[in-house]
Amino acid sequence: MKKRGIGIGCMYYGMGYGFSRPDVSAAEVEICEDGSIIVRSGEVDYGQGSDTIFCQMVAEELGIRYDTIQLITADTFATPNAGPTSASRLTYVTGNAMVKASRAIKKTLQSVAEEILGERDLLFLDEEIFSESHPERRISFRQLAKEGHLRGLPMVETAWHDITTKDVNPETGQGDAYSTYAYAAQLAEVAVDTETGEVEVLRIVAAADVGKAINPSNVEGQIEGGVAMGLGYALTEEIKEEGGYLKTRNLGEYMIPTSMDVPPIDPHIVEVPVSSGPYGAKGVGEPALIPTAPAILNAIANAIGVRVTELPANLENLHRLIREKERD
Amino acid sequence: MSKEPGKTLLKMKVNGKAVEVMVNPTWTLLRVLREELRLTGTKKGCEQGDCGVCTVIMDGRTVNACLVLALQTESKEIETIEGLGTADQLHPLQKSFIKHGAVQCGFCTPGMLLSAKALLEKNADPTLEEIKRGISGNLCRCTGFVKIIKAIQNVHR
Repeated sequence: MKKRGIGIGCMYYGMGYGFSRPDVSAAEVEICEDGSIIVRSGEVDYGQGSDTIFCQMVAEELGIRYDTIQLITADTFATPNAGPTSASRLTYVTGNAMVKASRAIKKTLQSVAEEILGERDLLFLDEEIFSESHPERRISFRQLAKEGHLRGLPMVETAWHDITTKDVNPETGQGDAYSTYAYAAQLAEVAVDTETGEVEVLRIVAAADVGKAINPSNVEGQIEGGVAMGLGYALTEEIKEEGGYLKTRNLGEYMIPTSMDVPPIDPHIVEVPVSSGPYGAKGVGEPALIPTAPAILNAIANAIGVRVTELPANLENLHRLIREKERD
Repeated sequence: MSKEPGKTLLKMKVNGKAVEVMVNPTWTLLRVLREELRLTGTKKGCEQGDCGVCTVIMDGRTVNACLVLALQTESKEIETIEGLGTADQLHPLQKSFIKHGAVQCGFCTPGMLLSAKALLEKNADPTLEEIKRGISGNLCRCTGFVKIIKAIQNVHR
């Protein structure tokens, strides 16, 4: 018989390293004579889209086109340290460094533009700098960059952002643990075969508070990918070892979800800006994954009254738990 | 071509061009594509047919290039990601993948695109189930497949 159930999983997650562990990131923004931009940072984009959103941030600050930016990353010969891609921290930590460096160089450009245009109420928009009150007084970003170089002004700025916290009292556990927190909740709907123990996940609804979605499509991708990883963690993925040797040595033995296994996913982006984040943003990488397994296990319990306490809830384990429950 | 000991002349077509290459009988198609022909768009992953990142099209059907011996491709026609489109003129599937945000780390993408192309050539308007089955040999760890499936569904829309 197939029984259906629903379950919810919720989580909060400390951004970055916390507990007084050093958590710093650097970015360098350089404006070339032709108005193109070089951004250097030790950050690593391994698919989560940090390169994309950092270019978005610099473009936003300087009012320039995204595709005029050349990004050089993760090269100790050329880039300042940004710390590791981990703890869902890049948007939150490196993002702040990007915004700081962009604003520092913008300040220099602003002073040059004020001198040339004779106005102070200047906007940087669509590759141009113009006066709000006298919009006919304008200069192209490209020309302004050249003027900056002709004056011998600093056309490169490095920014450093530090979110290292003070730590907590080891006796009471109270104090400054993390710089900020991310929140997420997911709902799973499952059908469990009471004969075989097979769990079919019918649907996942996943909401994540990301502060501000710098790139909504990227955030959805992170949520959907996180759910798929959480699904594998809940139902199939298991590292087996025997006598110190790994028995699951390839993707035929360590079973990750395929396109056939991933259910419809309904991602919801929640935006509650955090004042310490760039544009209010914080990370989403791990928060997207954490609630999935608890939601699925709660849905299994709701469907058949069996509480899974050891992962994965694969056929073998769930079948055994169902038989044990029948015996009691 | 000069004679090399232990090697055999292989003649095939790669992305529409006739290719002649001296191969060792133990080499796979993957090795020939990447090491001899320098077509590194075809990725090397598990090398045992589990992950699908080395997917190429051989005479209209997708194969894992790591599981095909090079000499099995004699007189056959191979399509790799390099033959799908160029940076200036992307294939509609490539445009759709970009539009729908179907690429994250990108390592599965070449194989995924070729599986999608082979599917659409046989079945121009596949159902959701047919798309899922069509790319079921291509593992993706980043996307959860959602946007990849959307990109394939909406390639002509």
